[in-house]
Amino acid sequence: MSGNSHENHHHVSTAGQLWAVGTALLILTIITVVLAKFVTIPAPFDIITAISIAVVKAGLVAAFFMNLYWDTKFNAMLLLMAVAFFMLMVLITLLDTLYRVDVVPSF
Amino acid sequence: MANHSTSHPTHVQHHFVDADQQFDSAKMGMWVFLVNEILFFGGLFCAYIVYRSWYPELFTEAALELNTFWGAVNTVVLIGSSLTVAMAIRSVQKDQIKGLKINLLITIALAIVFMVIKGFEYSHKFHLGIFPGEFYTFEGLEHAKAPIFFSIYYMLTGVHALHVLIGIGLIYWIYRRAVRGDFSSEYYTPVEITGLYWHLVDLIWIFLFPLLYLIE
Repeated sequence: MSGNSHENHHHVSTAGQLWAVGTALLILTIITVVLAKFVTIPAPFDIITAISIAVVKAGLVAAFFMNLYWDTKFNAMLLLMAVAFFMLMVLITLLDTLYRVDVVPSF
Repeated sequence: MANHSTSHPTHVQHHFVDADQQFDSAKMGMWVFLVNEILFFGGLFCAYIVYRSWYPELFTEAALELNTFWGAVNTVVLIGSSLTVAMAIRSVQKDQIKGLKINLLITIALAIVFMVIKGFEYSHKFHLGIFPGEFYTFEGLEHAKAPIFFSIYYMLTGVHALHVLIGIGLIYWIYRRAVRGDFSSEYYTPVEITGLYWHLVDLIWIFLFPLLYLIE
């Protein structure tokens, strides 16, 4: 029984898969630099594009390098919860800082 | 239950049912730590977002002092090191200990390249008088809040660089244990867990690079 679960738990990626992910990350890095430096995208879409590409890259690293794609769903949930609580922290902070009448002078 | 204790490999501690449960528990524990790390960096990213929303023009101006080329090179270096860590784990899963050791050494080398480039970037800024907070003496930027941008820059990249240094130490430790013959496809939990840590360091940089270096 432990033999079976051993097979299920430890996914071994092929070298080809890992190189494909690495290459995809490299290409996305080149795309994000080219878009930022040589293409004029009107604000705020320049930030949105850059962050979207970063999210795709982060997703590739988390899914295939950190093995979440083949891992128990619980670990993926932990990561998503961290992201959710980060966004909650930013949201609540911005509800304050975006709507201040005067920015605190020393800040 | 009778064969429960006799079937245990030596690395399995007595409070775990079997090697798989021990491996999964260790990995989950690492993920909980990574949640902690994400929220720790999250506070710094939050400061970045608040200040960028207050002073968008400052970020456009001040980011010109950062060298996109070296930032991009460091991004590629870290992606490469993540790939070699993933290859190291694949090697140990296939009992290729030589491949494990080589990939760990390449990872350490890439991490050192990252730190050297970061060091040159920092020393160039220090030379110009771009220090964090009240120590800022650079005259080249008009914006009154310029020191704040660089405080955020130094905090984010400095704490990240600290993680890279700790990562170098951890991967070297894993390498020494690999040389000692501690790991095989049956037991490689520390390799897997250190790998997760290293990938997180890469993940953070994936966001730092466009947020700091690619503002136009």
